[in-house]
Amino acid sequence: MSERIDDAALVERFSYIRIDHDTKHLYRGWLEERLLINRCDDCARFHHPPKPICPSCWSSSLTPTQVSGRGVIHLTILLHQGPPAPDVDYAKGPHPVVSIELEEQEALRFTSTVIDCPLEDVRIGLPVELAWIDRFGAPFPVFRPRETS
Amino acid sequence: MARNPIRDQVAIVGIGSTGFSRDAGGRSSKALACEASIRAIRDAGFEASDIDGIVGAAEPGGPSPNQMSAALGLPQVTHFASPSPVAVFALVDAINAIFSGACDTLLLYFAYQRLPWNSRSAAGDPFRRHFSMGVTPLPESPDPAAAYAAWASRYIHEYDAPREDFGRVALNSRAGAARNPLAAMQAPLSMDDYLQARMIREPLCMLDMDVPVDGADAFVLTTTERARKLTPNPVVIHAASVGLVGTNDEDQLPSLRRHGQHVVVESLRAKSDLWIQDVDVFFPYDGFTIITLGWIENFGWCKPGGAGRFLEEHWDDKAGCAMIEGRVPINPHGGSLSEGATRGSGHLREAVVQLRGDAGERQVANASSALIGCGGFFFNSQGAILRRL
Repeated sequence: MSERIDDAALVERFSYIRIDHDTKHLYRGWLEERLLINRCDDCARFHHPPKPICPSCWSSSLTPTQVSGRGVIHLTILLHQGPPAPDVDYAKGPHPVVSIELEEQEALRFTSTVIDCPLEDVRIGLPVELAWIDRFGAPFPVFRPRETS
Repeated sequence: MARNPIRDQVAIVGIGSTGFSRDAGGRSSKALACEASIRAIRDAGFEASDIDGIVGAAEPGGPSPNQMSAALGLPQVTHFASPSPVAVFALVDAINAIFSGACDTLLLYFAYQRLPWNSRSAAGDPFRRHFSMGVTPLPESPDPAAAYAAWASRYIHEYDAPREDFGRVALNSRAGAARNPLAAMQAPLSMDDYLQARMIREPLCMLDMDVPVDGADAFVLTTTERARKLTPNPVVIHAASVGLVGTNDEDQLPSLRRHGQHVVVESLRAKSDLWIQDVDVFFPYDGFTIITLGWIENFGWCKPGGAGRFLEEHWDDKAGCAMIEGRVPINPHGGSLSEGATRGSGHLREAVVQLRGDAGERQVANASSALIGCGGFFFNSQGAILRRL
């Protein structure tokens, strides 16, 4: 895992997120446009959000592991109003929020938004893939519709 | 039967409420909590020196138990605690404290105030400016409020549920509130009103969410033994439970068919002599309409996905609300959706009012037991069964 910026710089870079020692690897990954999900070195199970131990076997030997970013929409919300963000303009229409079930493991989910997708296509079951946008000058993981063969 | 030595051993002998409104004017949360507490203590026929335990839950900025004890001048307290909001956490702490002997007679209070981030008028109140959420959440944060909308989308997807299923919950609560002088929202509500309401977190609209209010509820509890010296038929807590599943992060729940509500239902059922066929009034929490649909299904009134149809089949057109088997009303006080966002203390109070026979035009004839399913899916699922001895 890259430790190119120290903890203070990491907190500075993501001042809009509450980061702690259990979650810092996730956000260091974002800076490299890599989605890192905690995986247990002993039982190989993933979990999210990041915890200090593996909830399946209590091992504290965890590796933030890059996932494919492929998955399907499991939950959806269209936010008609909500917290502010520089890339979100509620006046232009609702902002989609989606929980993606990642292909690596059943019920392993990551919540973000979906881009390049008409609102009427934002629906449960839609295959998506990871993409990155800029938010407050740092990469931010989002999803977009995925072609399936 | 599961072990439940506390069964029927603790009674609720006093209740007090300020009633609820969108704006209580120039009164602090502590002032409201004091008013409700004094009402409850007097309702029990007690005075300050009788209270030796105090447990309370308040919104940010609300009074702590030691502050309430100071305001009320309680001479000596041997148990005090401030559990997380949502009422049954505090109820469970209170009954355990009395049953264990930590204290004998306890004041349980709940204080609510609109906060700057959930009420425009509260944001304009200079005395509430110092309340802060800290770091502003991201739009994509799976916080509990948004997560109920997310799981509502899943409910609609899995069960092909129409919006009217959610609307019936809102209509049921509003019909109750119209018969409850304490309620904040009493204007009549039609299904058309519901369907046209502004979307907030689609698929949930303005009328799927509870209404932020100012106000307070309070209760006085003591041993059933002492309560019997006050009244021959006290209202007692028959069983109470809270429940969690391991994976309770909002967006990581196993499914709509396995979360905190299921743990609560299994636990309560194993502890209780009474079940849904026995109870006279039903209080499924309605902080969001999806939570109410969950409780109706998970208590076993109907199958998963069937709550909307269940409400329709048990709808009393004349009363404008559901009446299960023509007999059991649901949240007759108006619930969190229309009485006000009391995090369940309103449900608990109305259960006591009904079991005491004091509910006026809302009264269920000869009500002798009440079932409460409080809180939602993630980390505040809880329930209780109350009965009149």
